[in-house]
Amino acid sequence: MVNVNQRQFWVTRLRTSLRLLCFADLALLLVAGCQRHSPVAIAVIPRTCGTIMWEPEHSGAQATALKLGARIYWNAPTREDDVEGQIALVERVSSKNYQGIVLAPDQARSLITPILRAMQRGLSIVVIGSPLPVPAGERLSYVLNDEEAGGRIAGQRIATILHGTGSVAILGIDSDITGIMTRARSVEQFLVTNYPRIRIIKRTGSFNVPHEQQVAEETLKANPDLDAVVTLTSTSTFGALSALGNVRSGRQIRIVAFDPDSLNFENPHLDSEVLEDTQKMGVEAVRVVVAKIHGQKEPLITQCEPLLVTRENVHSAEVRQLTSMDWRPEHLRRTWGAAP
Amino acid sequence: MRKLFEYRRLIFIASLICLMAAGIFGFYEYRQKPNRGLPYHDSFAIGKAEEWKALGGTWELLNGSMRNDSDERGAKLLTGSAQWQNYSIEADVMLLGEGGNAGLILRSSDEEEGVDAYTGYYAGLRNLDNSLVLGRAGHGWMEVAKPFFADHSQVLTSKWYHLKLMAYGCQLVAAASILPEGSRTSITVNDVDCVQSGRAGLRSYASGGVWRNVVIRQATQLDGAEMLGQDQAQDERSSPYQAANTESQSSFHAPQVGYLPQTRPSNPDTQPISSLKLFPITRPQSATIRGIVVLTSPALFVQDSTGGILLKQSSGEPVRVGDEIEATGMVRPGTFSATLEHASVRALWGGTPMPALAVTASQAATGAFDATFIEVEGHLRHKEYGPDDNLIFDFDSGSQSFRAMMKRGRGDYLYNHLKLDSRLQIRGVAVVDSAYTQDLTPFTLLVRSTDDIVELAGPPWYSAPHLVGMAIGFLLLALLANFVYHRVDHWRLRAIVEEREHLAFEMHDTLAQGFAGIGFQLEAIRTGVPEELLRMHQQIDLASDLVRHSHAEARRTVDMLRPRQLESEGLLSALALCARRLVAGGSVAVVSRSAGEVRPIPLRMSDNLYRIGQEALANAVRHARPTTLSIILEYKKNWVRLLVGDDGAGFVEREELGGFGVLGMRKRATSISATLDISSVLGKGTQVSVTAPLPPRLTFISWPRHLFKFLREHFSNATAADPPHPHPYRG
Repeated sequence: MVNVNQRQFWVTRLRTSLRLLCFADLALLLVAGCQRHSPVAIAVIPRTCGTIMWEPEHSGAQATALKLGARIYWNAPTREDDVEGQIALVERVSSKNYQGIVLAPDQARSLITPILRAMQRGLSIVVIGSPLPVPAGERLSYVLNDEEAGGRIAGQRIATILHGTGSVAILGIDSDITGIMTRARSVEQFLVTNYPRIRIIKRTGSFNVPHEQQVAEETLKANPDLDAVVTLTSTSTFGALSALGNVRSGRQIRIVAFDPDSLNFENPHLDSEVLEDTQKMGVEAVRVVVAKIHGQKEPLITQCEPLLVTRENVHSAEVRQLTSMDWRPEHLRRTWGAAP
Repeated sequence: MRKLFEYRRLIFIASLICLMAAGIFGFYEYRQKPNRGLPYHDSFAIGKAEEWKALGGTWELLNGSMRNDSDERGAKLLTGSAQWQNYSIEADVMLLGEGGNAGLILRSSDEEEGVDAYTGYYAGLRNLDNSLVLGRAGHGWMEVAKPFFADHSQVLTSKWYHLKLMAYGCQLVAAASILPEGSRTSITVNDVDCVQSGRAGLRSYASGGVWRNVVIRQATQLDGAEMLGQDQAQDERSSPYQAANTESQSSFHAPQVGYLPQTRPSNPDTQPISSLKLFPITRPQSATIRGIVVLTSPALFVQDSTGGILLKQSSGEPVRVGDEIEATGMVRPGTFSATLEHASVRALWGGTPMPALAVTASQAATGAFDATFIEVEGHLRHKEYGPDDNLIFDFDSGSQSFRAMMKRGRGDYLYNHLKLDSRLQIRGVAVVDSAYTQDLTPFTLLVRSTDDIVELAGPPWYSAPHLVGMAIGFLLLALLANFVYHRVDHWRLRAIVEEREHLAFEMHDTLAQGFAGIGFQLEAIRTGVPEELLRMHQQIDLASDLVRHSHAEARRTVDMLRPRQLESEGLLSALALCARRLVAGGSVAVVSRSAGEVRPIPLRMSDNLYRIGQEALANAVRHARPTTLSIILEYKKNWVRLLVGDDGAGFVEREELGGFGVLGMRKRATSISATLDISSVLGKGTQVSVTAPLPPRLTFISWPRHLFKFLREHFSNATAADPPHPHPYRG
């Protein structure tokens, strides 16, 4: 009988201990669940940051977020070809307390899964610059660079400087970025349709500078009568300029460059640059994310037309506005300047 | 004694809680101290840097300095406390490449990998525009800059400069000078909405750098004046640069002077690296290759898109990881790769790091990736310090094993941090040369820095220390829960007892008084009724008897509801007092004694024992006409027994002992898991025996033993030693 009493004693103790533990857990959960109301938080992840191509997006996004009462988190991999770094960043912000992501993907296909997972977690996504092979929908919108228009702009410029006849090489065709393929096809289509007397040579590219220089050198050697080059990325621009410095062809080969790293026209070979309006993309993307979070209907796809920058208009107000890297909050402007 | 025991326990627990609270508060205050750990001086000269944490870059200790060979934009190395407020950091700094900057970080927080991915201040020398720059990062960058040299000379690579950055309140001062003892340039800014506190660190942007003699000190207001004051003796172009410069506020568009890295013409007759292993071995031949440097220490390895090669450099300039180089030398073919001996090396350009090729250990074990920069995963099985200040790690990956070697890098940070059986991802140059493999593994990875080893998963959680820790944690939780339960139960019982007390007082004030009044009235009626009315006198007598009986019962009920004497005097004394009250005015003797070591009895148990004893005494007084009442309380290790006996009339024992009082006694006995025995001999007397189990004496030390004993008895169906029961009747 004493045994029965002891069992009752322990059973009673254990049962009550478990009840107390459950109660404590529930109380903790309730406390943890209480959250104060906080502004809409959006993670803005460009391909990289600290460049004249992507810092204008920062300024556009920051200004729009302040106006709409949202706050942004700005970060990116240190290199545009660091796809793994960008994926890690997307996954990290997906698991934190953000309501939306604005992403300029470093590589189209590799970012599909992280973006879909973020959408499953309830985040609103806006992809800017170049699209993913995922259709737009309730949680996914696009604010894209109008690559077709950019290709036409570059093609027209080539036709102008070549006076409708000559040969042009298109360098830096990188299938990692969907937009680059689109602009390459657009240039080619425009020239073939409107200026059939311009011969086109195409070469693939990457974000690797020596590879781009090597490709450019080989192209120049294989085509001694080359008149112009269209470079589709900043690395292919650099590679082409380096190659032109090494290869003494004696001809004035002109370069029309996309997505430049700088607006430096000191090099005589550089004719003009096609700039994405990343500032406008930043403004539109943040606006769309905030609108979606508040349940408003927004267009699924928005296109932003790029701008042609030449020696003549590089100092114009429009270009200066487009390339503004001034993201500074108002209260810090008196003390600090923007980065060079 | 019971109360004393309770008080002592309460005081002990209260003292423990106060001590813990004081300890936690003291620890918190210590951690929050704004100058904890200051002044600080680095230990790079003796190869120690465990207190530094890297975010990006490839940091390692070399020749008493901290070096970042990477051209990554915004590589950071951080140390210190997030509570540091007013302090200065200074160091000797050298830039390694063009088109970037290197310097010091101050008041940093929210750090991540990324270009400006932190909140804090930075000052550095920038050779892009040959300036001293002081700025604020907040996942974006803002700055003020000033030409470092009055005559706009260049900020040079591979040259030592001394840099100092100080924050006091919201005043920031940065100063730089050429070593040794060169002219100084400084900038000061008053940041109105300043960052208040944070860690210190080193940072480079696109150029890499080397740092030595890092000193961090608490700053005073005079330090800023001293840093600025030395400039005032020089000409106005060296005077401190003041913020709120309207010119700098307006120029926020893209720069006109961009940086184009310098490149050199390359040899058009270079050969793919993979073709060199097919060169004839009998007739040495010269060859020129071009590729990217993937490793510089312990040997120079270069790689192109076809493969990698070991270079034994005899002449040429020093190179860094990520440099595109051209090398000419004598080819020595090997089985899996070639070596270029007496190589003359020429750097073409920098900033083109080769990404690692992800392969499995099985693939690498074939030798196909000899001299190639690869990435492979494995489980860490062994680690040790090797010769020449190297770290050696042994890995398993499926059916393969391999080794990784590296310099100690940032001291013992990695060695201490990595746990055996964790899953790691390692990047390095794979080599099959037996000089590295010792013929114990199919290949060895030569790792560049601690940042090339990434922990993917820690050791499995089900290790012996974890399981022991979990068991201890559950035990402590259970102890705490039991303590809380015990206290709550005690409070509940006390509330019940107090409520009974209240009821007893109410009944005393109403019922008892009422009965007394009725009795007096009946006496008055009897006095007024004539003697001839015998029947009426009988009825009045009967009514008076009923009132007397009811009054006595009410008084007994009130006594039963008032257990104060139970708490104040103990069970035995309370029962003895109850017995004396019942026999007051008569000649019945009351004998009470205890046997065994007295132990505290839980309140609920003593209350029920008291009720049972009270009922037994009342039955004895009512039915047995005893001369002596005995009350005995026996204490044993695991049980307590109450014996209430009399020497009265007794009764014939029968199987079913009914009656409301006995039913109540049995019910009370069952409620405390006690056994009730009632034994009687006609003419000799009656004995009521109640045996109740005492809960084990639980302490922090004895708890596991009692639980283990219970579980053992429960699962083996063993029974504890029972006291013998002399009579068959069971309650």
